[in-house]
Parts: sequence; structure tokens; C-alpha cells
Amino acid sequence: MHSTFLFLIAALPFLGALIPGVTIRAGRTVCAAFALAPTLLALVLLGLLAPSVLAGEVITARIEWLPALGLDASLMLDGLGLLFAGMILGVGALIIIYARFYLSGDDPVGRFYTYLLLFQGAMLGIVLSDNILLMLIFWELTSLSSFLLIGYWTHLPEGRQGARMALTVTGLGGLALLAGGLLLGDIAGSYELSVILTRGEEIRSSALYLPALLLILLGAFTKSAQFPFHFWLPHAMAAPTPVSAYLHSATMVKAGVFLLARLWPVLSGTPEWFYIVATTGLVTMVVGAVIALFKNDLKALLAYSTVSHLGLLTFLLGLGTPFAAVVAVFHIINHLTFKAALFMVAGIVDHETGTRDISRLGGLARLMPVTALIALVAALSMAGLPPFNGFISKEMTLDAAAHAAWQGNGWIIPALTTVAAVFSVAYSLRLFVHVFLGPVREDYPRRPHDPVPGMWAGPALLALLVVLIGLMPSALVGDLVAIAGGAVVKGALPYYSLKLWHGVNPALVLSVIAVIGGVILLWQHGPLLRAWAAARRPEAKAIFDATVAACVAGADRVTRALHGGAISTYLAWFAAFALVLGVLAWAGGAHVPGSRPPLPIPPTVAAGFVLLIVATLGVISVHRTRFLALIMIGVIGLTVSAGFVYLSAPDLALTQISVETVTTLLLLLALNFLPRHTPAESSPAQRLRDAGIAVCAGIGVAALAYAFLTRDFSSISEYHLANSKTGGGGTNVVNVILVDFRGYDTYGEIIVLGIAGLTIYALLMSLLSGAAGRRLRNWRDTTPRSRDRHPMMMVVATRVMMPIAIMVGVYLFLRGHNQPGGGFVAGLVVAIAFLMQYMASGFLWAQERQRIEYHALIGTGVVIAGAAGVGSWLAGRPFLTSSYGYFTIPPIEEFELATAMIFDLGVFLTVLGAVMLMLYSLSRMARVAGETINIEPMDVDPSRRAADGEKEES
Amino acid sequence: MTLADFSTLLPEILLSVFAMAALIFGVFTGKDRSAPLILWVSAGMLVLVAMWILSAGGGGRTAFAGMFIDDAFARFAKGVTLLAAAAVLLMSEAYMERRGLLRFEYPILVVLAAVGMMVMVSAGDLIALYMGLELQSLALYVVAALRRNSVKSTEAGLKYFVLGALSSGLLLYGASLAYGFAGTTRFAGLIAAAEGGEISLGLLIGLVFILAGLAFKVSAVPFHMWTPDVYEGAPTAVTAFFATAPKMAAMGLIARVLFDAFGSVPGDWGQILALLSLLSMFLGAIAAIGQRDIKRLMAYSSIAHMGYGLMGLAAGTALGVQAMLVYMAIYVTMNVGTFAFILSMERDGKPVTDIASLNLYARAEPGRALAMLVLLFSLAGVPPMLGFFGKFYVLQAAVDAGLAWLAIAGVIASVIGAFYYLRIVYYMYFGEEGPGLDRTAMPAMAWAMLMISAAAMLLGTINLFGVDGLAAEAAAALVN
Repeated sequence: MHSTFLFLIAALPFLGALIPGVTIRAGRTVCAAFALAPTLLALVLLGLLAPSVLAGEVITARIEWLPALGLDASLMLDGLGLLFAGMILGVGALIIIYARFYLSGDDPVGRFYTYLLLFQGAMLGIVLSDNILLMLIFWELTSLSSFLLIGYWTHLPEGRQGARMALTVTGLGGLALLAGGLLLGDIAGSYELSVILTRGEEIRSSALYLPALLLILLGAFTKSAQFPFHFWLPHAMAAPTPVSAYLHSATMVKAGVFLLARLWPVLSGTPEWFYIVATTGLVTMVVGAVIALFKNDLKALLAYSTVSHLGLLTFLLGLGTPFAAVVAVFHIINHLTFKAALFMVAGIVDHETGTRDISRLGGLARLMPVTALIALVAALSMAGLPPFNGFISKEMTLDAAAHAAWQGNGWIIPALTTVAAVFSVAYSLRLFVHVFLGPVREDYPRRPHDPVPGMWAGPALLALLVVLIGLMPSALVGDLVAIAGGAVVKGALPYYSLKLWHGVNPALVLSVIAVIGGVILLWQHGPLLRAWAAARRPEAKAIFDATVAACVAGADRVTRALHGGAISTYLAWFAAFALVLGVLAWAGGAHVPGSRPPLPIPPTVAAGFVLLIVATLGVISVHRTRFLALIMIGVIGLTVSAGFVYLSAPDLALTQISVETVTTLLLLLALNFLPRHTPAESSPAQRLRDAGIAVCAGIGVAALAYAFLTRDFSSISEYHLANSKTGGGGTNVVNVILVDFRGYDTYGEIIVLGIAGLTIYALLMSLLSGAAGRRLRNWRDTTPRSRDRHPMMMVVATRVMMPIAIMVGVYLFLRGHNQPGGGFVAGLVVAIAFLMQYMASGFLWAQERQRIEYHALIGTGVVIAGAAGVGSWLAGRPFLTSSYGYFTIPPIEEFELATAMIFDLGVFLTVLGAVMLMLYSLSRMARVAGETINIEPMDVDPSRRAADGEKEES
Repeated sequence: MTLADFSTLLPEILLSVFAMAALIFGVFTGKDRSAPLILWVSAGMLVLVAMWILSAGGGGRTAFAGMFIDDAFARFAKGVTLLAAAAVLLMSEAYMERRGLLRFEYPILVVLAAVGMMVMVSAGDLIALYMGLELQSLALYVVAALRRNSVKSTEAGLKYFVLGALSSGLLLYGASLAYGFAGTTRFAGLIAAAEGGEISLGLLIGLVFILAGLAFKVSAVPFHMWTPDVYEGAPTAVTAFFATAPKMAAMGLIARVLFDAFGSVPGDWGQILALLSLLSMFLGAIAAIGQRDIKRLMAYSSIAHMGYGLMGLAAGTALGVQAMLVYMAIYVTMNVGTFAFILSMERDGKPVTDIASLNLYARAEPGRALAMLVLLFSLAGVPPMLGFFGKFYVLQAAVDAGLAWLAIAGVIASVIGAFYYLRIVYYMYFGEEGPGLDRTAMPAMAWAMLMISAAAMLLGTINLFGVDGLAAEAAAALVN
């Protein structure tokens, strides 16, 4: 049956949550009324749907939400859902009334109701969701809203810590559950619970069954405080008592049990399920019951008793038999009634006496008779005594346990169950006896008396239910148990009967043992408590805190090791991992050795190769002495150029040689202003590490290069060789590539070069006006200088060479299109000629004779190159398409002119300008550093001396 | 090179021309005095172009013989990138102004970086890829070191530059290998070179190095080293920018390269991505725990988030790409909001980034604290905030692609990661008394971004604002 009422039921608490915050100005009562209204309305709507559900129908509602993700907002109400929804709303209503009287006027009550309704909505969402993902969302929402509720009294440190612990544990469990849910949906092929529940066989036989099961159980166990995750629940008791009563007895902690019940048809029935779930439940049941007996805090006692009962429910579901499952459903109802009542009683006691410490209480029966009566009924039911409802479900539990075997062992389960029952009787009786019986004391923090009826009405109603269900179980809840149990087992219900007297059977015997044992324990409670206090036990909170602290410290250590702030470490990681990736790729691919035979190695080449290696090693060994290192680098550069010559790449060789010269000269000049030596900053171990990485990376690159060279591959050079004459009008392929085929790149490059020159200029200029400039001005170079800084021989030689060099430059430029050369090389050659002038006669002397601004040179070059490119648009061709033609001007031979030449001119000018601008920038620095300005071009000028001699003569 | 080519690139050209014009305008008018004007106009331009791109429907177009691709995928990534850049610009104005950092170059550099990102996600060729990447990176290097008189900022910028240069080198090395073995730089050619799902060893190694270079840009472990230092050192507004737009663009670029150029061998790069994703998720989660500085924390957070994004890609399916896009869109939105808040953190008028300064912030400013709570929960991936859906999408994609182990690892990492987000919430709501933050009004734009982003985290759960539909379309365009 389809009913949109479901959406309304699920949405009502959320909508209602908006109101209390607003209405709190009107007082607590109004606020509570506005919180109660949506709850009751939802309850009524649920009641309208109940008859159809009890008749065996499943009510659904659906809206498409994110269909791509398989996420629909689909709700479902079956027997199990009805049971839980009824509990959530029913107890919720009682708690809202109770909290109105429990909370004081100083508390922010509006916020309380908002949180409470949020929680209620989330909880309803869990039990009504048909889509497992939707359920997970609500699941996390309950964790969040319970975090807010537990930490409601923000001034209490226990509250804050308890809230954080609860959120950590349940939140983490929720995320594990998310993973489990994804796996489950993946196996079943759908995220709809109604579909998943029909795929039991597939799921149980899937290879992913165990991981999915473990993850889901992790979620359920953390939520339902199963051992060893039980520790958060007692700490969450720092919450206001209404919260404890609602979340930690009736609803939230039952969510885990609900999940186990919901997925029971598909997950249960395997040995894994039995051994994990039943064992965990059994251990939790015993551990919780034992600890509960020794707690003096009333709420702590109830908390551990809740842990124990949750263990009981888990155990029953874990047994995997339909009978046990039905018992679990029945016990859920019973536990709800007596435990919520007891929590509220504890709250009343706390509220009226001002303490929850059992050792400070006693004799309250006379002062608060109504409360005492409620407590008595609920406690006896919790102890499992007739004629209350707790007795019936306990009997049935013992019956189920008596028929269960663990590893073929028939007595261990009944025995442990009985132990738990013994302690259960003891703490239940203790709760009543030590608090309400005994003499009236004089030292209660407050004068106790029965509270206003509004406060005890809720627990009284629940106590009434305890009695009524105990007396006539079938009439009151028989239908509900049947339909909810049917929803759990998804099949024919087993035989069971809900009644007080089953005759004398093993369960009854065990029950009698439990009562007797419990009474003895209570009688011997004093000595036992002392023994318990003396015993050393693991303290869950300390362990939790230590674990968290250890995690934080561990994370810190990892971070420090990885992230010390030293860029050398970063680079090492970077390079090492790239290397690892390379090796992985190498290992992953199929490598076949290359087929190309190696070329013969003549002795000269071998010598060059050795020279290269020696020089490289030399750079490494002397790199701290910068001057020497530069010389070595120069050697390497020249050897590489020689290699280009040998491998028939004259153009590259030319370029390489001129670039090498220019950079070495510029670097030499720059070294003037830098320290002579590089200090050692890393430890030998670090250097060893770096050397290792460097060697490996080098070998890797060499191997790749070798792999490349030993195999034939079609390269693009064929195309260029074939087309350079016809397409670009030049036979020098390199030049044609530069100015034509990839003219775009070259254009970009010269712009970059120009920018680099300008940037160096700008950087150094701004540097000089700052702190660095001041340092430079105060810097006195102490190294001895050569006496003849501007030797005559050099001046004369450079002067003579200048026109020749320019001539060579022009020659290289002109022939560039067809022979080795070109604008780039020509620019460098001319730049070297100028550079030499600077070196020979000093920066300033040369500077004063400079006529053209270098900036302008760069700009002109770029503009000319650009214009050459744009020119081709005029001819209707794309940017930088070159054309060429042959011309004859007598008496010169026929010669070729290409538009590429114009472009090359731009390259030439830019290169020249950029290099000279760098030089100029360095010379500015030298002047700031106090370089003496020579007026004469050379130190000793023979012509001047001659002139002086003439003067003397005359 | 025809008019059609240029018209395909019109948005990029328009923004580039705008950036250059703004630069000239700035230089020749009031310099830094005209910075606010330039900033607002730049943001306006970015939004306009984003709207223009997003509203342009239709199939894919290519320009310059396939070097540049304009399809639904590119449009999606560009839309997110540009809007994020605009949002960061707008909310950073007040911050930069107060710190005396509002130079007129800042918005221009952001626009240039945005152009680079647009080229990145549209690249159809290794050269175009590199061009876009470098345009973006160069702009970012500069803005990282914008606070020139601070040693930390300068160091951050330098580190970023050195490592960035290294990663570019790796990328180029990979690209040249790819070119050498495939004989082309065009993606279409590269994919054709991988016949029958087999690629040659050289191409494979080239792919690996290209990936390593790109991993740097998304700060995936172990190429993440620059992230915390740069996040901490750069001015917060710049950090906000780093954390948003470039991440989306770089993710888009990785997807573009992998699917367009190496789409026929998803197995080969899937493993690498899965490894990077795994490492990123865990390192991001673990290393953030010890952080006291919220900017460093956000750095690790973004590393972890990139891990999830990569998980989507590692799946190698259309759903995976869709998941990645949805994830990134959500991630960017969350980070815009979070950084809007971080920008407003000050004590005695000075910016602070210490987490402890948030103690009991909820009492002083309940509204902002609530918005932050929503954002932090969303960052942690707690349902029902939008961040959860992002995570869910990628997990789903990973499980569908048979990477269940990775999905489970992702869940575990998100569990660890939740710790530090929740700790901030804890400080804000339950912390101890201590010197708190100034109670000054947030600048209007930052406040608006914070609130919009937080509201989006909640309202988006209804239908993700239809982003998943767009993402599906985009993924379909990429994966065919």
C-alpha cells in the first residue's frame, strides 16, 4: 500500500524542530506544548496506518531523489518499523512532558526541544527508510543530534567529553556501516531494503559477505554499545536525564539492534553471524551486568544495565533461530517499558534529593511513596520476577539459551546467561533496596518529596504497562510481537506463547537459581564492593583518551618526518617517487631490446666522452668553489658542442658554442658579486641519500635515452628534410624550422628572451635600491686585483676584432637560411664582440659610448619579427607563413630573399638587446659596489705617452 | 587558423585581452589605487564569461586542428573554475585592502591564471596543455609571493616555484617521450597510437611522467610537499584561491589527458591514480591531526580531498568522471565558504590562524559558528551535508569499477579525517575560555560567501542543484 502519510510522519519532527527555538520566549510550558504537538500528530498518523500494518500490509512511499546514485527517498512501514516508530514517538511524547518539569528555568529549554525533535526525526528516519543509503544518512544524523543532546549542558566538562566520545565512537561506526551498506547494495544490486531482503542467498554466498558483515556489525555494535565499544554509553550519562532515558535506553542505542533485526533475514544463519554476534552479545551481557552491580551512581548503574540488556538482545538475534528473534522483539518492548521508567525515576531522585550517589541515598520509600512504587515495579521487572513483563521475556531468553550450543558445547551459553541473570537480579534489587529502603537519612542535599504529577505521570504510565503486559501479554502486545517478529524472520513464525506460566522447565530452574544467586550477591554486596574497588581494571576512558592522544602524537611524528620545511627533503621525495613510478612503468610494460646496431666509436670520440665524464665529476667535486665549477661547466659545454659537430649538426654546434661563451662571460661577471665558495649545508648522510637518488635518476634517464637510440622510429625529421627547401626556401633545415615551420615557437621564444633581459634589469635595479644595495655599497672586496685591469693588448685586440666579428655576424646572418648560421647565432656573435669591449675597457667607458638603448633594441626586434608574421596576412596566408623569391641585382649573383629573413632580423636584434641588457644590469651593480671608473680606455696608453713625450720635447 | 577557430576560443581571448587591458589601465592610472575597481570589474568579467560558457549548450567543437577542445566537460570545468575565482576575488577584497596587499596586479594575475586554467581543461594537445598549465602556474607563483615583505610568504613562493619547475620538467620529459614514441602531440593521435589496448613502453613511461607532473598541480601525495607551506605562507586570500579554482582545473586537465589521450589503456593509469589517491587520502587525514594552524590544516584537508577526486578518476568510467566533477564542484563550494570565514579571523585587528583562537566562538557569534559547523561537517563528509554526497559519489564509482578496496580505504581515511574537522567544531562549541577572536562584523562579501556556501551544503541535498546532471553530461562528453 502506498501512503504519503509516511513522509508526513518522518517530516513532522523536523518541521517541529523549528518551532521551540521561537516559542521559548513564551515560556517552558508553551515550548513543551509546541514540541509535543508534532510528536502527537505523528503518533496519530502512525495510529491511522497501524491497522493495515497489523493486518500484514507493508506501507511504502517514494520520491526520486538522486536516481544516478540509486538514492531514492523511499520509506517503508512494516511490523518492525511500526514497533520502533511507535516506541520512538510514544516515549518521545512522555519525555517531552517529563523534561518540561525536569529542566530548570535557567536551562536553554528551547534549544533542548529543538535538538530532541531533530533526534526524534532522525531516529524515525532510520526505522522508516526503505533505502539503505537514506537510512545511513539518518543514522549519522542521530549521532550528530545525540552529540548535541549529550553536550547540552555545555558548562560541564564531563558532558563535553562524553559527547565527544559518543560522537567519535558512533560516528566512526556509522562510517564503517556506510562502507558495509555500499558493499551490501553492490552485492544485491539495489539499495532498496525491500529488494535486498529478498536476496539473502546471494548475499550469504557472496565473496564480499564477510567484509560487508564485519563493517555492518561494526556500525551496529558501536551504536548499541556492545563490548568492546560499550564504554561510551556510561560516559554519555552526563547528559540530562530525559536525554538518557530517551536516547540511551529507548531509542538510539536500539538502532544497532534494529539494524541487526532488519538485516536478520539476509545476514543471519551463517556460522560467522552466530559466532560474532551471539558471542559479542553474550560477553556484553555478562560484562555489563557485573559492572552494573558495583556502580554507585544511579545512572551509571542503569547505563551498564542497559549495556547488559542490549547485549541480551544482540545475543538473541545472534542465535539465528526464529524463536530467539521473536523473543528479542518481545524483549525490546519490555526493556523499553521498565528501563525508561527507571531512568525517569533516577531523574526524579536526582531532581528531588540533589544526588544520584546510591551510598548517600536510602529510605526514600517513606518520603516519596509514589516514586518508590514505580521504581519497585520497574526494578522487579528488570530483575525478571513474576508477574511482570521482564519475567516472561527472561524466561523465553533462558529457554532459547538452554537450547544453544557453542562450538558443540551445550552448557556454556546457558551458564553464562544464568550468570548474567544472577547479576541482573542483584543490581535490580540493589537499585530499589539501597535507594528506597532502609532508614530515612538526615543528610540528603535537598529535602526529598514526591514531584509534581507531570513528572511522575510518564514513568507511572510505563510502570502500568509493565504490570499489564506481564499479566496479559497476548492481549496487549501479542499482535504487535507477531507482526514485528514476522517482519524480522520474514517467514513463518515459530511456535511461541506469551504467558506467565510455562510449567516447570529448564528455564524456570535457571531462573530460580538466578534469583537465589542474586539475593546472595546483594546480601554480600559490601565485601564484594570493597574487593571490586581494590581490583585493577582497565579504565575505558583512560584507554580511549590514550588512544586518541597516541593517534595525535603519531600523526605529528609522521608529519614532522615528511614535512620538515626543508625543500631539499621535498625535492628528494619528489624525485624518488617519480623514479619509482618510472621503474613501475618499466616493470609493467613489455621491454624488448632495441634492434639498431651501435655506431663504431673512434678514439677521438671516446676521448671526448671520457672528457665529458671527467668534467662532470669535476663539477661535482669542486662545485663549492664556484669559479672552478664554472670553468668545468664551460669544458662540458664545449665538449657537447664538439659532439654536435661530430654528429653533423653544425648549426647546433654554432649556437651551442656562442651561447656557451656568452653565458660563461656573463656568469663570470656575476660571480664578482657573489661569495667565492658555497658553504656545505647538508650532512654527509643527506648527501649520500641525494647522491643515491641522483645516480638512480641519471641511470634511468640514460637507460631511456639508450632505449630510444637503439630502436628505429619514424621521426619528424624526414618530413622537415623533404620540405624545407620546397616549403621554406632554405636548405638549412634547422634555420627553416626556426623561422618557418615552427616560427611561432621562435617568436614566443624571442619574446621570452626579451622579457628575461628586461626582468633581470628590473630585478637588479629594484634590488639596488633596497637592503641588498646597501650591503653592496658597504661591501669591500678584499681579493687582490690585477694591476693592469685593462691591458693594452686586450683593448687593441678587441678593437681590431670588433669589425671583423660584426662582419662574421652579418655573414652568419645572411647565409643562415641555407648554411649553418642564422639570426640567433649572429646576434650572439655580435653580442660577444660588444661584451669584449666592456671587458677590455671597463663597463662605464663602454657604456658612455653606447648610442642605442638596449630596451629599444629588444622592442624593435620583437616588433620586426611580429610584422614579418603579420605581413603574411596581407598575402592572405596564416600568420608567419614565409615566402621567398630569387632576385638579381647586377653585378651581384642571383640571390635569394625570403620573408623569413625579416623575421630572422627580429630574432637577431632581440638576442643582441637581451644579452647586452643583462650585461648592462651587471655593470650597474659593479658601479654601486664601488668599481672605479676609468676615463681612459686602457691602463697604459702608448699613444698618450707618445703625445706626452712630444709635449715634453716641445 | 580560421575565424571559426578563433570564435571557439573567444572566451579565452576575451579574458586575455581584458587582463592585458586592465594591466595597462592599472599602470597608467592610479596603480594600486585603482585596484578595487579592477578587482570588481575582473570578478564581473569572470562571472559573465562563466555564465556565457555555461549557457552555451550543444556538442563539442574543436579548434586549431584539435589542439583546443570545447565540449560539455570543458564547459563544466570552466564554469566551476571561473565562478570560484570570481568568488575568491570578491571576498578577498576587504582582506587584502586591510593588509595593504591589494595591488592592482592581483586581480589581473587571477584572471590570467583563470585563462590558463581554461586552456588546460580544453587542451587537445600536449603543447596546448603545457601552455595552459604554465600560464596558470606562472600567475600562481607570483600571487603566492604577493606578500613580498614577509619571509614566510617569499619562502613559500620560492618553494612553490622550485618544485613547480621540477614538476613542469617531469611533465615535459613525459610529453617529449610521448611525442617521441607516438610521433604526435595531439591527443587524438596519442590515443590512436595505443592500438588494441597496448601501448609501447616509451609511451607508458611518458604517461607516467606526465601524470607525475600533473599530480603536483593537484597536490597529490607524494607531490604535495609544497601545499602546506604555500598555504601557510601565502596571504589567506591567495590561499583561498589556491584551494579552489586551480584544483578544479588541474583535476579537469588530468581527466582530459587520461581519457582523451590515454583513454584506451585505463588499466595502466588507473593503478597509478589509485595509488596516488590512497596515499593522498591517508596522508591528508593523518598529517592534519597535528596541525594547529587552520591554513595548514586546510592544506592537508585539500590533499585528502584531492585523493577522493582522484579516486573517481581511478575508476576510469563515465560515472567516475561524473563523480569527480560533482566532488570537485562541492569541494570548491565548501572551500570558498570556509576560507571566507578564515579570512575574517582576526584578533586585535591582526589575522590569526591558530585553531585555539576559535574557543567558544559559538557564544560570541552563533550565526557564523553554525555556518562553519555545517561547512566542517560537510568537509568531513558527514551526512546529510552536501560533502557526504560528493564522497558517496566517488565511493560509488570506485565500487562499481571494482575498486572496493580503495573505497573501503577511503571510508577509513575519512573516518580519520573527520577527527580534525570535528575538533574545530568542538573548540567552537565546547572549548575552553581563552583569548578569542575580535567581535567585528565580517566584510559583506565574505559574510555572504560563508552563508551562501553553508546554505548550499544544506539545500543542495535536495537535488544537488542539478549539478549532477550537468556533470553527467560533461562526463559523457569526455568518456565515449
